[in-house]
Amino acid sequence: MASPLSNGAERGSLVVVRTVDEITSETFIRITADGSVSAYNGHVDLGTGIRTALGQIVAEELDVSLARVVVVLGDTAVVPNQGATIASETIQITAVPLRKAAAQARHFLIARAAERLELPAADLTIEDGLIRGHNRSVSYGELIGGETIRLELADDVAVKAVGDYAIVGQSMPRVDLPAKATGELTFVHDIRLPGMLHGRVVRPPYAGVDAGPFVGTSLIAVDEASVRDIPGLVAVVQIGDFVGIVAEREENAIRAAEQLAVSWKPTPTLADLADVEKALRAHPSTPRTLIDKGDVDAAISGAARPMRRTYVWPYQMHASIGPSCAVADFQDGNIRVWSGTQNPHVLRNDLALLIERPESEVEVIRLEAAGCYGRNCADDVSADALLLSRAVGRPVRVQLTREQEHAWEPKGTAQLIDVNGGLDAEGGIAGYDLATRYPSNAAPTLALLLTGRISSEPAVLEMGDRTAIPPYDYDHMRVVAHDMAPIVRASWFRGVSALPNTFAHESYIDEAATEAGVDPIEYRLRYLKDQRAVDLVNAVAERAGWTPRPMREEKDGDIVHGRGFAYALYVHSKFPGYGAAWSAWVADVAVNKATGDVSVTRVVAGQDSGLMINPDGVRHQIHGNVIQSTSRALMEEVSFERGAVAAREWGAYPIIPFPDVPKIDVLMLPRSDQPPLGVGESASVPSAAAIANAIFDATGVRFREPPFTPERILKGLRGDAPGTPQALPPPAPPPSRVWENPFAKHAGIFATIAALCTTAIGIGATLLPGRAIAPIARPDASVYSAATIARGQQLAALGNCAECHTTINGVPNAGGRALETPFGTIFSTNITPDVETGIGAWSYPAFERAMRDGLHRDGRQLYPAFPYTHFSKTDDADMQALYAYLMAQSAVRATAPANTLAFPFNLRPLLAGWNALFHQTREFTPDPAKSEVWNRGAYLVESLGHCSACHSPRNALGAERRQAYLAGGFAEGWEAPPLTSLSHAPIPWSEDELFAYLRTGHSRYHGVAAGPMAPIVRDLKALPDPDIRAMAVYLNSFNDKAADAPVLAATLESATQVTVASSTGARLYQGACAVCHEVGGLPLFGSRPSLALNSNLHSATSDNLVQVILHGITDPVSSDLGYMPAFRNSMSDAQVEELVGFLRKQFAPAKPAWTGVRETVARVRTSAH
Amino acid sequence: MIERLAKMMTQTPIRLTVNGRIHEVTAERQTPLLYVLRNDLALNGPKYGCGLGECGTCTVLIDGAAARACVIPIGGCVGRDIVTLEGLGTRDKPDVVQQAFIDEQAAQCGYCLNGMIMTTKALLAINPQPSEQEALAALRYNLCRCGAHVEILRAVMRASGQLAEARD
Repeated sequence: MASPLSNGAERGSLVVVRTVDEITSETFIRITADGSVSAYNGHVDLGTGIRTALGQIVAEELDVSLARVVVVLGDTAVVPNQGATIASETIQITAVPLRKAAAQARHFLIARAAERLELPAADLTIEDGLIRGHNRSVSYGELIGGETIRLELADDVAVKAVGDYAIVGQSMPRVDLPAKATGELTFVHDIRLPGMLHGRVVRPPYAGVDAGPFVGTSLIAVDEASVRDIPGLVAVVQIGDFVGIVAEREENAIRAAEQLAVSWKPTPTLADLADVEKALRAHPSTPRTLIDKGDVDAAISGAARPMRRTYVWPYQMHASIGPSCAVADFQDGNIRVWSGTQNPHVLRNDLALLIERPESEVEVIRLEAAGCYGRNCADDVSADALLLSRAVGRPVRVQLTREQEHAWEPKGTAQLIDVNGGLDAEGGIAGYDLATRYPSNAAPTLALLLTGRISSEPAVLEMGDRTAIPPYDYDHMRVVAHDMAPIVRASWFRGVSALPNTFAHESYIDEAATEAGVDPIEYRLRYLKDQRAVDLVNAVAERAGWTPRPMREEKDGDIVHGRGFAYALYVHSKFPGYGAAWSAWVADVAVNKATGDVSVTRVVAGQDSGLMINPDGVRHQIHGNVIQSTSRALMEEVSFERGAVAAREWGAYPIIPFPDVPKIDVLMLPRSDQPPLGVGESASVPSAAAIANAIFDATGVRFREPPFTPERILKGLRGDAPGTPQALPPPAPPPSRVWENPFAKHAGIFATIAALCTTAIGIGATLLPGRAIAPIARPDASVYSAATIARGQQLAALGNCAECHTTINGVPNAGGRALETPFGTIFSTNITPDVETGIGAWSYPAFERAMRDGLHRDGRQLYPAFPYTHFSKTDDADMQALYAYLMAQSAVRATAPANTLAFPFNLRPLLAGWNALFHQTREFTPDPAKSEVWNRGAYLVESLGHCSACHSPRNALGAERRQAYLAGGFAEGWEAPPLTSLSHAPIPWSEDELFAYLRTGHSRYHGVAAGPMAPIVRDLKALPDPDIRAMAVYLNSFNDKAADAPVLAATLESATQVTVASSTGARLYQGACAVCHEVGGLPLFGSRPSLALNSNLHSATSDNLVQVILHGITDPVSSDLGYMPAFRNSMSDAQVEELVGFLRKQFAPAKPAWTGVRETVARVRTSAH
Repeated sequence: MIERLAKMMTQTPIRLTVNGRIHEVTAERQTPLLYVLRNDLALNGPKYGCGLGECGTCTVLIDGAAARACVIPIGGCVGRDIVTLEGLGTRDKPDVVQQAFIDEQAAQCGYCLNGMIMTTKALLAINPQPSEQEALAALRYNLCRCGAHVEILRAVMRASGQLAEARD
């Protein structure tokens, strides 16, 4: 890592520098008197191992061991400004002065040694910095001693001959891996400074769009009061559209950023990206002719077989595994930013511009970050951290969220390539006229745009021309780059424009070869004049055992195999640019014609990299490029909703998983006599074309638009015209209620209710006179035995009293919790023994009357949200024990807010009528025909347990429907499923499973308790096993189905295995859900609920499934069950709808699709949870 | 239940056993373990990758099982044995799995390395001799973007082989 050495050497040092101007110079090499070597390079290690390779080059030229060399990369205070680490330039370009500087230092030292030892230089040898001759020796350190030696970097330095190399060209282990494998401080994410605070940013709603007048001008207001309750909140910062939070602790910064109420102006209509081709064609551009050779128009118009093709490349993500992070420390005149940037000097410039300070005050210290493969959010987050640090005057660490990195990283842009051409009478290429569109620029650092420091008018860059000229020597050829501004935020991504351009070149020539009836490799060789290319192509064909195509064999069965070839010389940097390593692929694929699934089974990847500094490093880069580009070709495509980036987690933007990685056979041509070439990108470039050519070989169908997803393959195989994706409907209106209202369908119900109650009131008034029971002094709880109080506590747990009588985070039983009902909001009352505000003045008769008749001590009717219809069944002994327990609690003074009920429900006397219709005050009577256990269970379930209060449907007046006892109901926005034979569970409940569920919150055959059921099961822990068993026995008696559960479970699970990612929903499942839910996966901490068996997936409504997807399971019955994250901030309504639709179809295939899922998602999203 | 809720929001110290040592942490019970490990205990091994348990970069062992520290609140970790990458070994004395990953050069940027090593550790604990297919399946939900999969798989197999040798 970058640990800059002190510039004032304590003893002596030798430096090799380049003078920039009178005050500035750049150091390349520093050797200190202790013999250690520091090498400085302006480029950085993006995870490719460049640090090791640069160290090898320096060690080689200096004749020291690699271990002696420290490579310092990217710290703006000490390294030369060599521009951004892009375009595979480090080895080819920026290593050149470094090598010369090392050689120059060696020459100097050996000359000095010759003088010191009085020997001719030719007689001296060097071994790890020790110069020997004639039995005498002197070390580099000794030669430097206390002197300060400064050498000006010369241009004409003699470097070693390749034949003399001992370190360069040898495979060396990466110097950074031991630290990374053992958790040492390595990454910018690991920087911790004294007094450091944690920041988070809140991004605008135009996710991933950085051009247009609304950028930086859309914020209406930030409501700081909305986060006032967050502990340790330090600041809310707002500048233009930049919004950030600073807090003492990271988790609180996260909460604050989520909770902060920010209002934004509506985003104007953005470009519709559902059809990328159409969007790119419609986007304004300026043509730039790169080559115009021969007479293209005449050649094409005279072609024997005209062939006009269009190739479309999708938007893709760099998709760094670690979202970007930075730490900034803003002190007056000394501003330091620890960053994972790709371009420290460019970033320093941006930061100075952002805060309007001279560049000299800003130091960018570069640390490693997750691999970026181009421009990700590393610079953005550095600027964010600086703004927040400036605001609070302390060091601030900002970590972008996964969602922010996905949404805002500059995308690898979509590209549109039209090729017009054709074949001449001999089957050769008559002409080749290519037009490429690349809507991307350098993606300005976001904070500059959001704060309005720079214009949101997008720059147009000339970068679509990489490898735009094909490597083939066509006689008549024209290539035009249509330069254009970005549509969404986009910037360079591995194989910058060359990968899509090559996809066109290499697909087209394959198509031409097919047309001509010639083997595609043979056909290419006709046009390939570059001997190194020809050698490579031949070597790769031989290694792969290539047999001439086409092989017109009949292919039976669902799985068909094919093989494809592609070649590229990655030409990069400013046009006309220069080549990096040569690369060629032979890809083998297996295509499942029934599912559309494409597997790349094997890739032979050949490369001519010139001299390889670290051959193992090159091999690993080839592996990495093959795997990443296979992933891009098969599965990667950014999705958009209304023009903004929709993919915000790995389910919506999948990357290749381990089992799908092809076998890779790497062929590296020995070219140590040739200059070293960049290897960081080359092997990506032929990928998509080789795979498309292989798919064609397997299926006879040509695919011209990656990714080659199962849907696209099936569409191609079945010859369906590609349908125009439907524009998304506008977002569903927010729901008006937070609970699934079973009465909502009953129009005009209020009138009926009022009439009914009014009729009943006469009866009610006579039957249940409400008289006040005199208050008493608070009873002395010491009259009750400890055993009675303990029994009462158990019963309170069974009755789940505290759940309703406590606010979230409030004092237990002090009331005040809002209970949403279809009739309005009821606030629970204080049931602690406070005399004035609680039940301290209630005598036992008053308490018993409330429990049995639903009357307050003062005689007023209680609403039946209080389940006295059940509690009335409690026997006297239990009732007294419960009273004893409640009176033994600490008294808490707390008054509940007034209920907010609509007319006529605010008229309590009407409840007398309700009671007359629906309530019978009657103690539980055992059924002599049933067992004792059954009767015990019935008592627990029907009285204090009040299970049916949620698990039975209610009528229009909110009373349980007795004919539908335990047939399922709704509570708090959750479905309380039927507990009878009406259960939708695919495996019928059994006594044992009911017991397991009530005891532990988990049943292997049904799932885990969540939502309002989780606290109930947790409360039931107070009850002994026999009581839980009795409840299970009783509940099971309503279920007349039985099944061999293990056999049925195995059948259901094997029949519903997910094997192909054939839809958006399937991909969301595999990316987000399968890690914890896939049957047979690696055991993780917590339970592994099987979706095929889960009751919620088989239910009549999607509510519970939507609840857990959006809100997760954050407080399970027990931590043993594990936790489920909430996806509400990571998935859009449309995505959740897709996911829910897939889960239902996949795991409950016998059940009909749910309807109204979109509305359910919208309702549950805004509900309290 | 209510006591739990009340506790959830108050900053009572929570006692966690990490890498064999007991730590008292003052944080809300719902705080994801990851932030406490990184910020309070200054551990670098577990990394933030997605916050959703999808990518595996934050993997630690809890009671020996692989656990995604970004989605597990510290309240659920009390009384449990937590091991991070640092708890396996050090540069001078690496664990067998760490050494196998170093020997196979099984990383490019190395951000996912923590998750790969910890998941391998959990896998080998329950299946000391996995087939390649089993190893691939076990690592399926650990994402690597650089494409170090080939070397990672070799590291898993090497570690498995060395454990077998050590037992013989």
